[in-house]
Amino acid sequence: MAATVTKVDQTFWGAPASTIGALEHELGRLRRAAVAHAKEQGLAFARASVLNLVVYAEREVHARRAASTVEELALRHPSRAIVVLADRAREGIAASVQLYCHVPQGDATQVCYEQVLARVQGDFDERVASVVIPLLVPDLPVFLWWTGTPPSAARHLDDLVRLSDRLIVDSADFARPDRTLPQVAHLARLRVGITDLNWARLTPWRELIAQFFDVPTWRPFLDGITGIRAGFAVDMDGRDIHPSQALLLLGWLASRLGWRRVESLAPAEAGGVLFRMTRADGAPVMVRLRPRFERGLDAGDVSGVRIQAALGRATAEFVVKRAPDARHATASAIVDGVVRSERVVPLPELGIRELLGEELAIAGNDHVYEAALVALMALAPGLRP
Amino acid sequence: MVIFGASGDLTARKLIPALYNLALQRLLPASFAVIGSARRQMTAHEFRAELHDAVAEHSRTRPINEEVWAAFARSIDYVATPSESAYDDLRQVLTRKDVEIGANGNRLFYLATPPAAYEPIIRAIGAHGLRGETGWSRIVVEKPYGHDLQSAMQLTSVVHEVFREDEVFRIDHYLGKETVQNILVLRFANAIFEPIWTRQYVDHVQITAAETIGIEERAGYYDSAGAMRDIVQNHLLQLLALVGMEPPAAFDDRSVRDEKVKILRALRPITPHEVGSLTVRGQYGPGFIAGERVVGYRKEPGVAPDSNTETFVALKCFVDNWRWEGTPFYIRTGKRLPKRTTEIAIRFRVAPHRIFTRETSTELEPNELVLRIQPDEGISLTIAAKVPVQGFSIRSVNMDFGYGASFMVDAPDAYETLILDALRGDATLFTRRDEVEQQWSFVDPIIAGWHEGRQELATYPAGSWGPEQAEALIARDGRKWRRP
Repeated sequence: MAATVTKVDQTFWGAPASTIGALEHELGRLRRAAVAHAKEQGLAFARASVLNLVVYAEREVHARRAASTVEELALRHPSRAIVVLADRAREGIAASVQLYCHVPQGDATQVCYEQVLARVQGDFDERVASVVIPLLVPDLPVFLWWTGTPPSAARHLDDLVRLSDRLIVDSADFARPDRTLPQVAHLARLRVGITDLNWARLTPWRELIAQFFDVPTWRPFLDGITGIRAGFAVDMDGRDIHPSQALLLLGWLASRLGWRRVESLAPAEAGGVLFRMTRADGAPVMVRLRPRFERGLDAGDVSGVRIQAALGRATAEFVVKRAPDARHATASAIVDGVVRSERVVPLPELGIRELLGEELAIAGNDHVYEAALVALMALAPGLRP
Repeated sequence: MVIFGASGDLTARKLIPALYNLALQRLLPASFAVIGSARRQMTAHEFRAELHDAVAEHSRTRPINEEVWAAFARSIDYVATPSESAYDDLRQVLTRKDVEIGANGNRLFYLATPPAAYEPIIRAIGAHGLRGETGWSRIVVEKPYGHDLQSAMQLTSVVHEVFREDEVFRIDHYLGKETVQNILVLRFANAIFEPIWTRQYVDHVQITAAETIGIEERAGYYDSAGAMRDIVQNHLLQLLALVGMEPPAAFDDRSVRDEKVKILRALRPITPHEVGSLTVRGQYGPGFIAGERVVGYRKEPGVAPDSNTETFVALKCFVDNWRWEGTPFYIRTGKRLPKRTTEIAIRFRVAPHRIFTRETSTELEPNELVLRIQPDEGISLTIAAKVPVQGFSIRSVNMDFGYGASFMVDAPDAYETLILDALRGDATLFTRRDEVEQQWSFVDPIIAGWHEGRQELATYPAGSWGPEQAEALIARDGRKWRRP
């Protein structure tokens, strides 16, 4: 059996350990070496972990990227990272687990980052939790970062979620967000807080939109919204459609403003969505989410939002778009055809590291996100192309 | 040092590796010899060869230092004792050693045999005059020390036929662990903890001893003992005593053990009628440990398929004294739990008035002081702290002190500490007769209640934290078990 097991890169993942006891021993030894190293440099070394981060990945390249990201965050969020690399493709192979551990010793490293790789193979779904539990540092919150699309009704996901205080996903990677987002909403019922990195990408958009309605004279338009148009980026040939971010933005508006029901009006054009919702007062809201090709954007990123509103005879448009370039947003308020306000703000390029760093600081539930998910679940029937 | 049961597991896994490591640290006396004794016939040469392999496999320092081993091995002898008359051979070897190495008649007898052999060996030591004419004689008795109060008292009376109480060293290897001794140091060498070590500040105490292993080859003993006798009666009650005891006037065997006996006496008895509400007993079924599929207890080799032996115990107990009145001590131990760990957690009360209700998204966790006995020995304290930047949010963080990283050494094995103490005659870390008897007096009525069928045996899947009933035991009080 051992012959079929391919080796992982030990320069990255560290030394292998035969058992969990041996792994703890090895980690202890590595920590001592790190302390000795720090002392030589005249530095103090603290083992000040604040969280356990369990990363689940099914490809080594994903596992490796995730581990590097977590390591870069070690100064802000010193942690023990437990990377579970599951090789599910190989049918018929005996279940096995291999453990590796690693404690980096950079010159600037004064806090402890410990990384464990648990490589599991074969029929492992019901065993995964039994490998992870003994590796968790006591007392610290457990964050589970699920790379890729979470499966539906899967034992290994449920077991790991039950161990965790927070589940981190990135809906930008979901192949079918119309199916997966409702599943994610369902997981919230396992009493786990859910974080979506894609939701964090929306934060500047949500701030800019909300700020329009902080202005007292425009606030009444909030109850008079008649239409939403949002664009999201696709690649040039328009094959990969990732509407998650735009859908979350819509779910947020719908949950905050109490919009309900949905009726599909037309077959979605080129992967877009067109439908009608109703406001709390029963008036209709026309919604169009449209894929657009735009240079410099990752597929799925929101490219612009236009909110149309009417109040008596007055009309207003609130527009946020990426202008003058992809790294800036221009927010304009147009009342009765006259531009009353135009602001340009930078849109920071949020990499996985920045997004994750923000999310790891939050220990409780993100109720606004969960409400947006619930609103999306109500939309789900209308989302099917 | 005479080891009875020299061909057994304990000798190979613990005693000889401990002696070898003491030799490595230059801690063994200059006039020291080991005489192994067991029923099996073998030469000293064969015995040494076996031990060499055992040390190579089980020593905490590896690889084996062959120079040190060779010198140490020369001091090892073997005398087969298949019948009582062979004890005369043993006496002759001991007398010869007195002359050869100048041991002056000093003898340390170590009972590493199954408990059934204790009494015949002790009597034979007396009958065949194995005690030296000069010098001291001491006896180390392994666990289990009796299987109930009566048998423990009976064993003590046999021991006392040959040895005085101050010559008896009842071993509880937990007490040999550095971190267990550190409980006393933490409490009584630091001024900041003792004032809050009371019912006013402590909400409750949790003591957990979790093992991932099953019963391995111990079915014969374990199936008749169970977790209560195997772990609770000795190790966990000792941990409770160390955490809960009053400050001793001095750090010596008499003062420390007097205080331990006092708290054991103050332990509120759990009567057979109360076992339904204050105890939980469980037995593991099949499941997974560290990714491996494992069988249930009743499928273990040597265990009856309808065995009712408990492999998990959870208790809620109280100490009826001024310091601890009304503060529950929750104790749990089990085999085939998901993680090997032993720890004591002191849970403090919540802050009396909460001024940060708006700033916290979830309930603030009260402070907790955790003494980790194994693995990863250390102490950690959770405190609430402000999350940097992000407005004003609060969350619990850990201050962690790990022995390994602070002192840069591996802790010695418990047996090294204890054997050395016994050689020096320091009994502080050994259990005195009255402690053992108090411990059995606490445990016996619970086992009696179980035998009367007053608490069902619950099953739990291997790799879980025990049966649901254990969660319910603590949840009834609005508390929950830690995730160690």
